[in-house]
Amino acid sequence: MTKMTNLYDVSKCTACRGCQVACKDWNQLPAVIEPFTGNYQTHESTNGDTYTIVKFIEHEDPVDGLHWNFLKFQCMHCFEPACMDVCPRNCISQTEWGAVIKDYDKCIGCQYCTYACPFEIPKYRKRDDTVTKCTLCYERVEEGLTPACARTCPTGALQFGERDKLLEYAEERVKFLRANGFPRATIYGRVELGGLNKLYILTDTPDKFDLPVDPKVPGQISFWQNWIQPYVGWLIPLALAGSAASFVSTRILANKNSTPGEGGHE
Amino acid sequence: MQLIPEYKADVPRVERFNFLARFSHWGHTVTFLLCLFTGLVLFLNGVDWLAAIFGGYAGAGLVHRIAAVGMTIVLVIGAVFGYKGVIAWLKDLLRFGMNDIVFLMKFPLEFMGFKVKIPPQTRFNGGEKGNSIVTPTCVIFLVLSGYIMWFPAVFPAGLVRIAYPIHDICMVLATCMVCMHAYLGSFHPGSGESFWGMWKGTVREDWAKHHHAIWYKETYGDKKEGE
Repeated sequence: MTKMTNLYDVSKCTACRGCQVACKDWNQLPAVIEPFTGNYQTHESTNGDTYTIVKFIEHEDPVDGLHWNFLKFQCMHCFEPACMDVCPRNCISQTEWGAVIKDYDKCIGCQYCTYACPFEIPKYRKRDDTVTKCTLCYERVEEGLTPACARTCPTGALQFGERDKLLEYAEERVKFLRANGFPRATIYGRVELGGLNKLYILTDTPDKFDLPVDPKVPGQISFWQNWIQPYVGWLIPLALAGSAASFVSTRILANKNSTPGEGGHE
Repeated sequence: MQLIPEYKADVPRVERFNFLARFSHWGHTVTFLLCLFTGLVLFLNGVDWLAAIFGGYAGAGLVHRIAAVGMTIVLVIGAVFGYKGVIAWLKDLLRFGMNDIVFLMKFPLEFMGFKVKIPPQTRFNGGEKGNSIVTPTCVIFLVLSGYIMWFPAVFPAGLVRIAYPIHDICMVLATCMVCMHAYLGSFHPGSGESFWGMWKGTVREDWAKHHHAIWYKETYGDKKEGE
């Protein structure tokens, strides 16, 4: 099935945070008030009741001067989600069209996904002991609607549609931006981590937007999950089987010899 | 069929483990098994029946944490009040000599029930030394990594990430050792009195002479001669 995704064009975003409000509204999330930190950004990062935020990044360039970069930040819906691999309750799954969703009835709030995520996006929510994140509004999309954030965006910075078509558009847009004052404009999410089901048109390199340039699933996690964890547990039944075999064989041999063994010393 | 040799109170007996050692041992037994079964709920997939015993996944998580705190308390009490015993234990573990190597080479045969001649052993034989090194090391790592996973916000993210695989690996190794240890300390015919050594604290003198000749001679033999 074709992947359906959100395209976020940084160059069109005015940081009105309509997407943030629409997200809260649709997902029925209460407001989370964080203290003022000298920045227009509302929250330090995503949190249990805030699936998406708009980051305000002040970037000072020695040549170009001060840049105020905005970035809508939420779950990236990776094609190969690390959170899905590590979840001990298997409560994370992927829809056919690419949304990574969670079954909150199963989640036990262990936060393994938070630390496996290359972006550390899933966040613990204390009030119901779960870890939450953006769902790409899969319940809306499956009914033929667009995600709440994309629907509300007044400037067209957020678009929802088929990933291939959005990529074509993004390439055109990046060409245009490069020719019009943003020589380092780039697409983010096409190849990162094997592809993200969220696309970004950035006006500068990803590090100027607080995004990892080459995100990686922490090595120890993939090694452990894919290679060791499935097999190492078999040592336990092996130890039990060895004990059971010994239990039987010692008694058979003791009966055969009819003399007490050296060890028993009876 | 006799599973464990009868406890004989009317024969000469010598002390093998003092009260604190036995308290630590059985304290760890209870808390470890509770932690193990509540933890397996997550390690194994699709064992809802196991979770149901503890009142569901949230209940299992709660029991796991309570037992983990209990384990920490037992660990601290054992280490603080029994530091002399711990030092003596570590000293014995460091006496890993030829007799232990021979023991480990021959033991698989005895394990299956064949008669073998084994050289005299110190307080802990080669196998017990192995268990004494691996299991407590794993338990310490389990406790540390457990608290890191319990309070991830306090620790650096890299540490939290490696805590998960460490917790799993140590769980598997420790459980392996515990399975073998539980069997060898009770139903294995070659172990004889060792169960009573940990349950009542004393073992038959002749068993001690035979099974842990060096330990017996050093602890009780010389003293008697000296007196």
